[in-house]
Amino acid sequence: MPKIESPMARREFMAGMALLMAVAPVAAAGAKLVPNPYQPLLREVAQLVIPRSTTPGAGEVGVGAFVLLALDHGLEGTKGLDHAAWLKSTLGAGFLAQPLAKRQAALAALDARAFAGDAAAKPWLAIKRLILLGYYTSETGGSKELQYVHVPGRWDPDLPLKPGDRAFSSDWSAVDFG
Amino acid sequence: MDFDAIVVGSGITGGWAAKELTEAGLKVLMIERGREIRHQQDYTTEMKMPWDMPFRGHGDSDLYDRDYAVQRLNRHFTEFTQPHFVNDAQNPYQTGEDTRFTWFRSYQLGGRSLAWGRQCYRWSDYDFGANARDGHGTDWPIRYADVALWYDKVESFIGVSGAKEGLKQLPDGQFQPPMGLNAVETHVRAEIAKRWPERCLTVGRTANMTEGKPDEGRAPCQYRSLCARGCSYGAYFSTQSSTLPAAMKTGNLTVITDAVVEALDYDPATKRVTGVRYIDAQKQCQTARARIVFLNAGAFNSVHILLNSAPGGLANSSGTLGTHIMDHANTLSAAALMPGFETHTSFGNRPTGVVIPRYRNMDQMDGIGHTRGFSFQGGALQSTWTQGNRMAGIGADYKEKLRHPGPWRMVLVGFADCVPRATNRLTLDRNKTDANGLPQLKVDFAFGKEEHAALAQAKAEAAEMLTAAGGKVIMGFDQPGPGGTAIHEMGGARMGYDPKTSVLNQWSQSHDIANLFVTDGAQMSSSACQNPSLTYMALTARAAHAAVGMLREGRI
Repeated sequence: MPKIESPMARREFMAGMALLMAVAPVAAAGAKLVPNPYQPLLREVAQLVIPRSTTPGAGEVGVGAFVLLALDHGLEGTKGLDHAAWLKSTLGAGFLAQPLAKRQAALAALDARAFAGDAAAKPWLAIKRLILLGYYTSETGGSKELQYVHVPGRWDPDLPLKPGDRAFSSDWSAVDFG
Repeated sequence: MDFDAIVVGSGITGGWAAKELTEAGLKVLMIERGREIRHQQDYTTEMKMPWDMPFRGHGDSDLYDRDYAVQRLNRHFTEFTQPHFVNDAQNPYQTGEDTRFTWFRSYQLGGRSLAWGRQCYRWSDYDFGANARDGHGTDWPIRYADVALWYDKVESFIGVSGAKEGLKQLPDGQFQPPMGLNAVETHVRAEIAKRWPERCLTVGRTANMTEGKPDEGRAPCQYRSLCARGCSYGAYFSTQSSTLPAAMKTGNLTVITDAVVEALDYDPATKRVTGVRYIDAQKQCQTARARIVFLNAGAFNSVHILLNSAPGGLANSSGTLGTHIMDHANTLSAAALMPGFETHTSFGNRPTGVVIPRYRNMDQMDGIGHTRGFSFQGGALQSTWTQGNRMAGIGADYKEKLRHPGPWRMVLVGFADCVPRATNRLTLDRNKTDANGLPQLKVDFAFGKEEHAALAQAKAEAAEMLTAAGGKVIMGFDQPGPGGTAIHEMGGARMGYDPKTSVLNQWSQSHDIANLFVTDGAQMSSSACQNPSLTYMALTARAAHAAVGMLREGRI
């Protein structure tokens, strides 16, 4: 076991372990966990959608692994198509070896096609939704990039909104209907 | 086991029956089919963050397809609230060939009181008089004046926050101070009132307290709006936070959980029920005896018990048992973008929306193709990161956009009165049994032209109101969701004057069997367009008072 310094790091580690356990089917006792072959691709794609700014990007906080877990369990209506394999073949085998600018351009083009209604690009929409879900419900995305207050303790119905104010990932009505 | 009273079910009405009967000095047995959930100790997900959950609150879709195929359609069903809903695979029911009915259930101590929507609205005489006025169903043997004091009692005890508006169609009650409207809602309320004085947008009257009840161990709302996970603050009304502790305090209550009531025992010689038969946690058949029985198993399950208690159904000399079931016709009538409020925001999560009470078919019959009411619930809200689902783009600029609150929008969800019809009914499918070997319930249900007409008018008028307030309507629907969508399923043991055409009398008491009371949603003779739970509670308290009086006088 790695030495865990802070409670927060420990929590993230445990969450990571839980993810890993859920992603990798546990075979016979003592068998090695086989990493999902699409993990590097999904990590990179997540990071391209939500890159590092003043806060870490999506790939850095494990969203690639979350998307694979979610796909494995059919979230966002993804049953019936191997979305990870589709993404790999759509972006091309050499995608990860290309320079950053080319990776960005290729993914931006796919994203634009999907939002323009191109049926061939449609599976991207679910993958993108899962990347957003994975990031903004992570501790980093939910509480560092955005604000998270579990127990607000008060309701202020009308406050001034100033430029630069961060949104709340704990505004559940906004998450559901916004 | 011998008791003065048996209460079947521990949800919103079962808790009230137990409280009222024990406080009157009766020894009461409460039987709950589901597991025990202890207040403050067993709300396992209450303090979990999204990142604590394997599926971040969205849950395992594969598991839900397999085991929660119906419950997952409930908006309140999430990975956090899943422990408060039934496993559909283990709790099957049947529907008629042309019926779509989503039956949302919570089999546990506290029942659906743990996961309910908490909206509390009084009925008026437009509602109690509806059947007499247009001839659908059978006339209610009670009017508002019969229930008003019981509404007072229930509201005061459970804690309801709301604003008094002086509306005759939605009488004011005993309210704690209201939660405020946000900037957009305040504006829309004013614009609507200017143009349509008879239409009133007000904050939802909700069983979330703005003032604590320290003597009862209940704190005011913390504005998390995570209610359905269970609330250790006791800030919303549930059996656990409110009626159960009151009943326990009397020393007169016995609770059995994990016990499914199979049938009532009936003595034809005395024309009385003598108790209940139930299947305990060890799958053993048991009996309990009492002088009176209150059925509070939830509308459809109370009917199930009566249908299963005798060939042709117990307490069914009228032949109407199981018939005239209802659920509000319910749909998203309008959603609109609300520009002009970009410098406004709010803090905290208000656990209620807004309501626009019924304004049609009151003193003038001005509904188009329907004779009853519709109302709206909804609210204005600001977007957050989920707006990214609809937004093209990747990279730094995209992330920056999602960092800040997005545009305001407002939604109005229509709820239309459901006409009671004999063809909408519950029966037992004796060819299909559940894990306990009991016949499954079969639901036949369809909305009719009245509900469709009401929702069509609701769609047009929701758009008209939001547009008048400066909104840009982006969508709206006029087709109801499947029956059960509103989670207001009711009827099946309707109240009425005539024993030949109704199951219960004005005291929620069986016409046929004097010591049998049914005080949950099954007793409803019409649906109104308000959320019904407050009325169930008031009628339960009223029936309990009547039953105790009859016992004392030796009449039952």
